[in-house]
Amino acid sequence: MSGDGKYFSTTKKGEIHELKEELRVLDKSRRKDAVKKVIAAMTVGKDVSPIFPDVVNCMQTDDLELKKLVYLYLINYAKSQPDLAIMAVNTFVKDSQDPNPLIRALAVRTMGCIRVDKITEYLCDPLQRCLKDDDPYVRKTAAVCVAKLYDINPELVEDRGFLDLLKDLLADSNPMVVANAVAALADIRETSTQDLLVLTNQSLFKLLRALNECTEWGQVYILDAIAKMQIKEAKDAESIVERVVPRLQHANSAVVLSAVKVVLLQLPLIADEAATKALIKKLGPPLVTLLSEEAEVQYVALRNINLIVQKHPEVLSHEIKVFFCKYNDPIYVKLEKLDIMIALANERNIDQVLLELKEYATEVDVDFVRKAVRAIGRCAVTLERAAERCINVLLELIKQKVNYVVQEAVVVIKDIFRRYPNRYESIIATLCDSLDSLDEPEARASMVWIIGEYAERIDNADELLESFLEAFPEENAAVQLQLVTAAVKLFLKNPQPRAQQMIQLVLTYATQETDNPDLRDRAYVYWRLLSSDPEAARAVVLAEKPVISQGTATMDPQLLATLLGNLSTLSSVYHLPPSSFVTRAVHTPAPSLDNGALLRERTATDDGAGSSAGVSDGAPSPAATAAPQQSSSLIGDLLDLDISDPPPAPAAAAPPPPSVDELVEVVNAQSGKGLAIKAGFSRENNGPVFLLQLANGTQQSLDGFMLQFNKNTHGIAPTSQVVSVPPLGPGETAGASVPLTVNPALINPAANPNVIQVAIRNNQQGVLYFTSACKPEILTAPAPSATPLDDFFGL
Amino acid sequence: MISQFFILSPRGDTIIMRDYLGNVPKASSEVFFRKVNFWDKGGRDAPPVFNVDGVSYLYVKDGGVFLVATTRENVSPSLVLELLKRIGGIIKDYCGLLSEEAVRKNFVLLYELLDEVIDYGYPQNSSSEALKEFVLNEPTMLKPSKSKGDGLFPGVGKGPTGVIKSILDTSRTEGKAREEIFVDIVEKISCTFSSSGHVQTSQIDGAIQVKSYLTGNPAIAIALNDSLVIGRRETSGATDYGGYRHGSDTVMLDDCNFHQSVSLDRFETERTLQLVPPDGEFAVMNYRSTYPFKPPFRVSTTVEEDPNSALKAIINIRITPDFGGDKAASGLEVVVPMPREVARVHCELGRDAKSGAATQSWDWQEKARRLVWKFKRVQGGVEHSLRVRATLSEGWGAGIKKSIGPINLQFTIPMYCASRLQVRYLQILKEHKGHQPYRWVRYVTLSNSYVVRT
Repeated sequence: MSGDGKYFSTTKKGEIHELKEELRVLDKSRRKDAVKKVIAAMTVGKDVSPIFPDVVNCMQTDDLELKKLVYLYLINYAKSQPDLAIMAVNTFVKDSQDPNPLIRALAVRTMGCIRVDKITEYLCDPLQRCLKDDDPYVRKTAAVCVAKLYDINPELVEDRGFLDLLKDLLADSNPMVVANAVAALADIRETSTQDLLVLTNQSLFKLLRALNECTEWGQVYILDAIAKMQIKEAKDAESIVERVVPRLQHANSAVVLSAVKVVLLQLPLIADEAATKALIKKLGPPLVTLLSEEAEVQYVALRNINLIVQKHPEVLSHEIKVFFCKYNDPIYVKLEKLDIMIALANERNIDQVLLELKEYATEVDVDFVRKAVRAIGRCAVTLERAAERCINVLLELIKQKVNYVVQEAVVVIKDIFRRYPNRYESIIATLCDSLDSLDEPEARASMVWIIGEYAERIDNADELLESFLEAFPEENAAVQLQLVTAAVKLFLKNPQPRAQQMIQLVLTYATQETDNPDLRDRAYVYWRLLSSDPEAARAVVLAEKPVISQGTATMDPQLLATLLGNLSTLSSVYHLPPSSFVTRAVHTPAPSLDNGALLRERTATDDGAGSSAGVSDGAPSPAATAAPQQSSSLIGDLLDLDISDPPPAPAAAAPPPPSVDELVEVVNAQSGKGLAIKAGFSRENNGPVFLLQLANGTQQSLDGFMLQFNKNTHGIAPTSQVVSVPPLGPGETAGASVPLTVNPALINPAANPNVIQVAIRNNQQGVLYFTSACKPEILTAPAPSATPLDDFFGL
Repeated sequence: MISQFFILSPRGDTIIMRDYLGNVPKASSEVFFRKVNFWDKGGRDAPPVFNVDGVSYLYVKDGGVFLVATTRENVSPSLVLELLKRIGGIIKDYCGLLSEEAVRKNFVLLYELLDEVIDYGYPQNSSSEALKEFVLNEPTMLKPSKSKGDGLFPGVGKGPTGVIKSILDTSRTEGKAREEIFVDIVEKISCTFSSSGHVQTSQIDGAIQVKSYLTGNPAIAIALNDSLVIGRRETSGATDYGGYRHGSDTVMLDDCNFHQSVSLDRFETERTLQLVPPDGEFAVMNYRSTYPFKPPFRVSTTVEEDPNSALKAIINIRITPDFGGDKAASGLEVVVPMPREVARVHCELGRDAKSGAATQSWDWQEKARRLVWKFKRVQGGVEHSLRVRATLSEGWGAGIKKSIGPINLQFTIPMYCASRLQVRYLQILKEHKGHQPYRWVRYVTLSNSYVVRT
């Protein structure tokens, strides 16, 4: 074996001992070979720490190659041998004054990587010198070293004034040094409470100038720093954009995406509409160019484009063809392209899109095929004029009788029916033909819904339902629920003896034999309705259903805004706010409120299709009721309370808008820095609620409202700290109803029984405090769960 | 920034490992390898970015090895992926190629390079040229493997040259190594034909790749077609098919970008790129065109019932190479997916194949249900056909015709350029008599996604 490869193949037994011997020989090249063997062993994961002193002994040498190898070893093992690591300090300090800048930089770089407290003390002096070194290579290395030191010992960095020295480097003559200073400050900012990158106009322009000259990576550091700045002046925004737009031509995709982010963030500040339009136009071609890169780069670009087109579809509206899937695209690229195709589909290009989707629906990969079929359904739901064409494509696909295609098609056709009631029922017969092939719960549930909903138009609806009912006990819960509802509908529409028999059978089973409370409750409700007042039953069950909205696939605007602000970061790839996956310890926790939605959001957006919104009739969509519940401690502790989490409260149904009359102004526009708040207590859905009316009189949009009560005589507290209101634009007003619960841990008998102290905060203004009058009566009515089930039915 | 960087062998062994922040467990390489291999229960490509237990893994696969970075922060994923790609490029520049063996044999050199490329997880200096002054180790070169050495462009990927050569050769051995520079125009073409044979969508993704081994790094000038037009016309829609139909010499590109070493002063007026090429391989210019071009291959198929047997279908496939007879495509593969009804196939190569039957073959991949028709070499202008007798599991139906395909073609055509972009001349701007480095200008067109719908 030749080359370094041989170092990987040392004998197993007595290896450490052998190495030790070899490290002691005088012959330089043999010693170097021994160190190489040590490094090889270290790489494959063997523990070579026992020979620490022997390796460190080789450190004092003129052979730079050997020195580098020893340093590499030191970085890996110093932490496990802190006392021995001190042995190395002298050499480091000496090296940091070497006439050769490469050695000075090497010393300071390596010292910073040795995360041993005792060494950091000795690091300070060399670092101070190196930050002011004449050689830019040494300065740029020293700049990064400040961030390393801050991570080990922040106090030391602040005491020694390294932060100021670092800030001075922002004005360095060498662009590499500037870029590293920016990177180091940004790194420190992640764990510090201070905002270190508050840039003055002057420093901003220095950065913009350095932008043209530094490496591709430096450009990204600078662009990302600019993106995090709060730019307020239109003219600043304009000059930023002017400098940044040429970066869109860069060959490095990270530079391009960061530049896109910076430009998009400045857009709201640029008043001139024509200029804005021209800018948006300029973003298209560079984004498309990213799709010519390797699949990995494409994937990141596509996840970002997905966000961009939700906000600015015009950027790429003429480029839909580039999102057509290629034969050899990896599946993760194809799935992303599909999403973007749907977002960009419009009445002009829909024929082209449908042609593509139809091709995809015959491909081999099952997931891709399913998603293609769902995409056709989504086009139908969003583009009214193209709905018929979409349905024809779906019917063609159904006729090919590929099992999973048929199932997927049935699910989307159900959504199309809900979007355009009474328009396309003629195709039901075709659907019924493939009844037997449906074996997936979602498809079966959808089919049952269709049969129940259109029972009067299907001649043999009763037979079809009966065929499903044979296996009722074994069905999936979703299908069972649909079967109960469909049986009731059939009976109400056509009360034949056969239907009556069927309904008795279903209701008996659902009320007596099942363990599923949802199914049992639904069956009881129908039973009572039917037995007490069939007319009322008709009015309830056959009522006109609200048409499903077309925007089911779009993302929550608040999340979208957060993600767009984090373009070209992992957050924009996961489609999750950074706080949900970043776990770096913060020295002094800064409250972060952009949490809201956790991993669940991901699955929701990934499945994409709004069609998954469930098949439940008329009832408010389950998504609306599942308001964020998990965030009990997100707000930090505004009132310094020692709280244990309140007992989980049942999810409240989507609240009706609170009646504003009873509310009292608790914060006026003046004391609330522009935000006026009215508040009051009431009862809703048999539980106490806190009603809020928020009027935004500021010039900015307010979001992320959260609420906390001080300890009080009743021990009442919000079930969730999140106040579910949409972001409030300037001049807008919104109401919210926050369900309350009683938590014995929060009782303070000494407090004034008639007043509750409240703290409310939002992302822009911070915390406001007020008091609100509270009548104890709101708590007195019995909680809904207190009614025994038996009584309920015995009423 | 990034917490760790490591290189894994195809079997998952760690062959290079650097830890920068110490906040990700050492076992991360195992977690990564398991996850990538069993993504979606195996058989699926894992996306290049994913998160397991709060650790984000970003990777690229090149030369059989995995280049991986881990992080716990909200980093720019493009930056990390570009960095990983760049490290792969640096390894190629220094070791001649990227493979498990090349990494193992040069691991000390690679650690030395990595030391300069990444500090505390932040990418620093990543230009192969600039790194030269920092490294002391010599590369161990591997002998090129002969196994894949067919055609002018072995190891067809994006790389232009099959040259295995370290950039350290020139500078260290001062004058002894051969002075040479390669300029390659590499175009990847995508084309989708409708069932009626019309081009539905087409695109060229091209790059001018330079690999330079010149001592003293002299400036060079690359002159392109005078008639090069860049930018998409405003009008959109089906009428926008000017391009080659007008028979003009104009080469039209939608968009392009340049390497940072390129001076664009002479580009606007003379269409000439002037630059001081750093050592190693890099793309001087990347470009993209959606203007129509002449597709190098046309494919037509007919499907009919066998008059002699109800359980047989006869499929005729004909391909027409639509380029000059002085050129030839290598490694053409025609992949025909077959519907479920097809149980077996038997093929007869066309009469034309008799002359060079050895260069043509067919293969029925029963499990994947596809027929692959392979050529070693296809000369321009010479048609080939394949007669397929398919045995059906159920009787003939018209649906069979529709469910064959889409047919996919893979090929490489050396000395062919779909966009007709040209290097008019390549000049080395060095005033030194007797300095005559070798200059290579080459063209190659590769299929990216070349699909014929049926």
